[in-house]
Amino acid sequence: MISLIGFIGLLFSCIFSVSIVISFFNQNKKVYEKIFYYSVYLSAISILVSFLALILAFINSDFSNYTVFQNSHSSKPLLYKIAGTWGNHEGSMLLWLVIMLIYNCVFSFNKTLDISLKKLTILFQSSIYICFALFVIFTSNPFLVNSILVNEGLGLNPILQDPALAIHPPLLYLGYVGFSLILCLSLSGTLLNKIDKEWILTTKNWTLFCWSMLTGGIALGSYWAYYELGWGGWWFWDPVENVSLMPWIAGLALVHSLMMAKNEPLLKRWIVFLSILCFSLSIFGTFLVRSGILTSVHSFASDSSRGIFILILFLIITGFSFILFIFKSNESNTKLNLLFINKTSALVINNIVMIIACLTILLGTIYPIIIEVVSNKRISVGAPYFNSTALPILLPGFLLMSIAPALSWQNNKLPKFKYYLITFISMSTLTVIISWFSFFSIWGFIGLLLSFIIIAGSVLTIYINSTKFGYQNFLNYNNALIAHIGVGIMILGITCSSVFKSEYSLSILKNEEIKFDKYSVELIDIKILERDNFQELKAFLQINKDKKVMSLVNPSKRYYHVSKIITTEVGIYRNWFQDFYTVLGSENNKKWDIKIYTNPLVNLIWFGVLLMVFSGFVGILKNE
Amino acid sequence: MSVSFQRLLVILISLIFLITSILLILINSKKNLIFFYTPSELMNANPKINDIVRIGGFVMKESINKIGTNIYNFTITDHKELLYVTYDGVLPDLFREEQGVVVEGKIIKNKHLKAISVFAKHDENYIPASIKSQLKNNEYWKKDYK
Repeated sequence: MISLIGFIGLLFSCIFSVSIVISFFNQNKKVYEKIFYYSVYLSAISILVSFLALILAFINSDFSNYTVFQNSHSSKPLLYKIAGTWGNHEGSMLLWLVIMLIYNCVFSFNKTLDISLKKLTILFQSSIYICFALFVIFTSNPFLVNSILVNEGLGLNPILQDPALAIHPPLLYLGYVGFSLILCLSLSGTLLNKIDKEWILTTKNWTLFCWSMLTGGIALGSYWAYYELGWGGWWFWDPVENVSLMPWIAGLALVHSLMMAKNEPLLKRWIVFLSILCFSLSIFGTFLVRSGILTSVHSFASDSSRGIFILILFLIITGFSFILFIFKSNESNTKLNLLFINKTSALVINNIVMIIACLTILLGTIYPIIIEVVSNKRISVGAPYFNSTALPILLPGFLLMSIAPALSWQNNKLPKFKYYLITFISMSTLTVIISWFSFFSIWGFIGLLLSFIIIAGSVLTIYINSTKFGYQNFLNYNNALIAHIGVGIMILGITCSSVFKSEYSLSILKNEEIKFDKYSVELIDIKILERDNFQELKAFLQINKDKKVMSLVNPSKRYYHVSKIITTEVGIYRNWFQDFYTVLGSENNKKWDIKIYTNPLVNLIWFGVLLMVFSGFVGILKNE
Repeated sequence: MSVSFQRLLVILISLIFLITSILLILINSKKNLIFFYTPSELMNANPKINDIVRIGGFVMKESINKIGTNIYNFTITDHKELLYVTYDGVLPDLFREEQGVVVEGKIIKNKHLKAISVFAKHDENYIPASIKSQLKNNEYWKKDYK
C-alpha cells in the first residue's frame, strides 16, 4: 500500500513537471501563468510525499517493498531505519530527485531576477528533473513490490550503520544536485543574454550555498572514513572520493569567478563554462560510481544497465549545454584588466590552476579504464600519483592565496608590501627552524611553509583592514580571508598528521602497562556486551602520561547477527595536539594485539574546512 | 595591452601550466602506477625486486601464521601459483582463509611480497570486478559470486 502511494507520488511529480514544460510554452494565456507556478509547488509536494512514503516503509519495516527487504531489518535501531532510506542506490536516487525539486521550488520564490529568466531556469530544471525521474522509474525504482511474502529483511551493511550516514549523503547531494540549478541559471542567462548584476548576485548566492554544502558533505565523509577502519584513512584518493572532489574544485573556481565578475564583465562566458563543467562532472561522477566501472573501497550497488542510462543522460545534458554555450554566448571585446600582479591576474592563474588540477585528477581516476581497454592490463592509480601530480600544480594557487585578497584591481601594487615581505621571511625562518629540530621531509617542509604563509598573510591583511576600516562590518571585509585561513589550517592539519604520525604495535595482557613513546597504555578490562542488533567485544584501555591518567579509550569489535559480519571500531582519544587512535586486534595466549597510532593535529583538517563552510554562509548573507 | 595580446598571454600561461602538468603526469605514470595481477600473472610478468604491485587472489587454507606482534605470514593463490606474503599490521575483519583478498606491497624476493596494505572489503563476497572475470575462467573457481 505504502509503496503504491510512494510510486504514485513519484509519477505525479513527473506529470507536474511535464505540465511545467507545457504551460511554459503557452505563456500568452493568463491561466497558464498560474498553472506554471502551481505545478512547481505540486511537483515538489508529490515527490516529498513519495519520499516520506519510502521512509515510512523503512520505519515500519514493510518488507513487501523490495528495497526495504533488501536493505533493512526489523531489529535495526530507528536512526538507521530512517537513514537506511538513502543508504542504498534506489533510495539515494529518490533523495536526488527530492533535492532537485526542492531547489526548483525554493528558487521559484526568487524576487530579484527578471521573470522570463526565472521561468526559463525553472523550465530547464524541470526538464532535467524529468530525465532523472525517468531514470529512477525505469532502472532503479524504489517502490518495487516483493514477489514473495517475507517477514524479515536482509539488513543494512553493518559498516554503514553509523550516525554519519544520516547526514553525509543528504549534504553531498545538496551540493551535487544543486549544481543543476546553477547550470540552468547559466543556460537561461546565456539564451536570453541577460547575464547582468542581478544574475551574478543570485547565481553567486546559490553557488555559494551548493558549494558550502558539498564542502561540508565531503568533509563529513572524510571524517567518517578516518574512523572507519579499512577505508584507507581520511583521504584515500579512491575513485569515489575523487569523483566528489572534481565538481568541488570546479565549483570553487566558479565561486571565485562569480565574486570577481562584478568588476570584470569579461568573465561571464567563463562563468557559464564553469557552471556547465560543474554539473557535468557531477553526472559523470555518478556514472563512474554507479556503473561499477571503477572499483572502490566505498562500495556502491552497481549495475551496468544503469550505467548506460546515466551515460546517455550525461551526454544529452552536457552536449546540449555546450552546444548552447558555443552558439549562443556573446563574444565580448572588452579588455581584461590584466596586469603583472593584480586581482584579475591572480584570479586567472587561480582558475587555470584549478581546472588543470581537476583534469589531472580526472585522468588519474579514469586511467585504469583506459589502460584496461587499450592493453588489457589492470592497474591501480593510488595516492602517490595524485600527491605528486595534483599537488605541485596547485602550488602556485596556494602561494597566491596568501596575498590575493589584498591585491588591488587597478595596479601592480600590494599595499604595505614591506610588512608582507617581513612576515613571509619570518615564516620561512620559522619553518626551517621547526624542520631542523624535528626531522626534514620535503612534503613536511612545503606543507608547513605553505600553511604558515597562508595563515600569516591572511591575518596580516585582516589586521591592515581593521586599522583602515575599524571592526564594524568585520565579516564583510574579511570574509574571503577567513576562508583562506581555513585552507591554511587545513594544510597544517594534513601535513602534521601525515608527516609526523607514528604507530606502535603492542601485545598486552589484562592489567598490564606498556610504555610507548612518552606515554603508557594499560588494559583495564575487556568485556562482551549485548547491544540492539550486535554483540560487542569492548576493550577498556587507559592511556597515561607520567603516571597520570589522560583518558580511557574503547576500541572494540562488533559482531552483527543478521549479516554475520565482524567490524572493528576504533577508539579515539583526542586532545588539542593529537589523536590517539587505537585498534583492537586478535587474541593469542591471553595477550591482545593492539595498534596505537598518534596523529598530531589531525582535527585541524576538519576545523579548517568548517571555517571555509562558515565563510561560505557569511558570503551568502553579507550585504553587497 | 590589446585584447588579442591579452588572450595570447592567458593562453600562454595556460599552456605553461598544461605542459607542466603533462610532464608531471608522464613522470608519475612511469613511477607511480601500480599493476594489478593474480599470482600466476605476476610470475609471467617477471617482476623485479622492490617493484610495488597489487595482487588479488585467495588466502590459502591453513596458511595464516602469526610470527610476532601484529606480524603475519600467509599465502595467496589463484590455484595455479603461490605467493608468500608478510604483513605487519592489523588484518581486516573479513580476512579469512579461502576468502578473496587484495594486497599491495613490495616484492622482496622471488614469490615473496612484503605487504603494505591488505584489503578485504565490505562485502563478504567482495572481490574486485576486474579479477572476478579472470578467476571465473579458472576451473577451480566454484563459488558463485553475485
